[in-house]
Amino acid sequence: MSASAALSTDAQGSAARTSRLRKPRVQKVRVAHKGAILAFVLPFGVLFGLFYLVPIGYAIYESLLVIKREGTFGAATEVFGGFTQYVLVFQNGPFWQSIGRVLMFGVVQVPIMLGLALLFALLLDSPLLRGKRFFRLAFFVPYAVPGVIAAIMWGYLYSPNLSPFSAVTENINFLSADLVLWAIANVVTWVYVGYNMLIIYSALLAIPTELYEAARLDGAGQLRIAWSVKIPLIMPAIVLTAIFSIIGTLQLLAEPQVFRSFSSAVTSTFTPNLTVYTTSSIPNVNLAAAFSVVLAVATFILSFTFLKFTQRKEAK
Amino acid sequence: MKKRAVAVALLTAATVALTGCATSGSTDGTTAADACAPSTGKVDLTFTTWIPGMEETVAIWNKANPDIQVKVQTGPNGNGGTYQNFFNQLKAGNAPDLGQIEYDALPNFRVQDGLTNLAACDGVLDAKSDFVDWTWGQVNFGEDKSVYAIPQDAGPMAMFYRADLFKANNIAIPTTWDEFATAAEQVRATGGYITNFSQSDINQFAGFVWQAGGTWFKNDGDKWTVDLTDPTTTKVAAYWQDLIDRDLVSTNPPWTDEWNNAYNTGSDWTWNSAAWGANSIASGAPDTAGQWAVAQSPQWNAGDKASGNWGGSSTAVFKGSKHPYEAAKFALWLNTSDESLTMLNKTANLYPAAKSGLELPALKAGVPFYGDQAIYDEFAIASAQVSPDFIWGPTMTQTYNDVSDGFKAAVSGKGTLEEALKVGQTNTIAAMSAQSIPVNK
Repeated sequence: MSASAALSTDAQGSAARTSRLRKPRVQKVRVAHKGAILAFVLPFGVLFGLFYLVPIGYAIYESLLVIKREGTFGAATEVFGGFTQYVLVFQNGPFWQSIGRVLMFGVVQVPIMLGLALLFALLLDSPLLRGKRFFRLAFFVPYAVPGVIAAIMWGYLYSPNLSPFSAVTENINFLSADLVLWAIANVVTWVYVGYNMLIIYSALLAIPTELYEAARLDGAGQLRIAWSVKIPLIMPAIVLTAIFSIIGTLQLLAEPQVFRSFSSAVTSTFTPNLTVYTTSSIPNVNLAAAFSVVLAVATFILSFTFLKFTQRKEAK
Repeated sequence: MKKRAVAVALLTAATVALTGCATSGSTDGTTAADACAPSTGKVDLTFTTWIPGMEETVAIWNKANPDIQVKVQTGPNGNGGTYQNFFNQLKAGNAPDLGQIEYDALPNFRVQDGLTNLAACDGVLDAKSDFVDWTWGQVNFGEDKSVYAIPQDAGPMAMFYRADLFKANNIAIPTTWDEFATAAEQVRATGGYITNFSQSDINQFAGFVWQAGGTWFKNDGDKWTVDLTDPTTTKVAAYWQDLIDRDLVSTNPPWTDEWNNAYNTGSDWTWNSAAWGANSIASGAPDTAGQWAVAQSPQWNAGDKASGNWGGSSTAVFKGSKHPYEAAKFALWLNTSDESLTMLNKTANLYPAAKSGLELPALKAGVPFYGDQAIYDEFAIASAQVSPDFIWGPTMTQTYNDVSDGFKAAVSGKGTLEEALKVGQTNTIAAMSAQSIPVNK
């Protein structure tokens, strides 16, 4: 209500400003545009509201409730509890350990994955490589494998006795407490390198070829062009993939959930999302909602900080 | 623009909060039995289960009852995801009419107000005498005028063992846990493991505690008492910790191909498990057909006659079902009729909770996979020895998760089973307090 009211006053304001010049026609055009804008925005707006804003609102609402009941099997009533659930979130050791675990995961895995994605994209873009179409598809294929299937497949590959590479897995237990996080990192990298490569590669294709010509005339070789022309120009794409990856890391769920049945080292609170899942299966939806809200805020802060940081660097 | 977006978001959130308030105020207490009148006309029921081959049993019912048609929906086993679906469906108000619920999860569903008290439905209270005593105790919570589910099967525990391997290596079949530990050393000397310790399915360990006479929960009507660290439990934990420390038992995660493989290749020799476990071995270790046999579980003291129970489940009617009368009628047929119990035993090796079921011809016959031994005779003996006093807590999903996290660490050499149980104790009390379930701290 308030938003649409604000919109119309805004429109009137701008209309008043232009009215001195060509009053009647401008206003008609404006109204027609408004209808079109509404028609185009409505499908998105409705879906965005229903499946994004409403669930978030509902989660926030649930997180502010506590359960009251009388007797050992008394019926539960949800009453307003203020920030009770949030206090529990901040007191919950395993949850913060899980955040620490995925941060460590992200610090190692994201640069490796994006480094590989950048390398593959540059190779695809360089005139030196043959069979580009084949490699482009080959690198991308793992992304077409559903995450759960990929995790199950790798789970078997890591399995000490059943693995086709049991000569290795019998001696190095990839599913042990020390290695399982990196075993999962390998699965995630395998799945997402191709996807990130495509984003970076399409940014490379958008660079005008005159720039390369100019660089070559200045005596730059392929390596020099990649380093001094291509990478600076595709930096926005790399930043974008980095933000997607940071968000993805904090939201790890499918891979650790699958690995739980294979490995002794993956607990029910291994990642933040797994903690949320476990809590909601108690079922304690209020605490699970509070975990989710805190996780969402943490994700937002982290991505936003990264964006600001990289933008400031670019400005320099 | 940003301010406007925030305003819209807040407004939406407020609307949601208001509508949420309007719908969530209608929970009422359920000490009395719920109304149970027949519906008019044709009734369609939905039934969610994970029992293999349930469709075939239900098909028999559907053929004989054109007016009460049951539709089977299948899912993963309870703690594998179906319980979470049930809880979500109950909150959303679209739960199926009937659901498969293991005994250990019934208190959890009752505390979440998910079960219809069927006591007022035709024939339900009278069915008490049809079932093995302890199974009825699990569905009525010790209250005379309550029935929250109809017992389906039981999981009396006995010891599956590789008769051929014990014979070939001249190792005596252990009858006490002391002998079991000695045999474990002898088996290890041949390169195998006597058994596998279940690190993530805590039900097996609960069965061991049940056999030893321990109890984890008490409910005096006013308050719960949680006791995962009583002397009996601690004794059982110390026993298995010793076997783990000496590398005398394997620790493959249960229900994985790795675990199947250990049995299929003859690396693991015995399995203390429930009657339904007969199916798990036969499907997981097909290459060992004919080599297995069943004996009573080892005892803590020579000459004792005690058995534990692992699993077993019931058919519950969820709150919100519009046809509790018809649903109860179906549940009674499913769990007491000869035709149904015979089919469930055939497709899923279920061991009936109904007394009449124990006399079925199918349960008297020899089973080829077990060298034609009449294995259910052993389970009948075990079933009669199961203590009726074991009570489950109201947050078992959480208790299992926490203890399992600790057990997993213990088999990896970090911490002990005992420490895991201590953490489970603390977290269970915390989880109950978080939902205002009265508990002694």
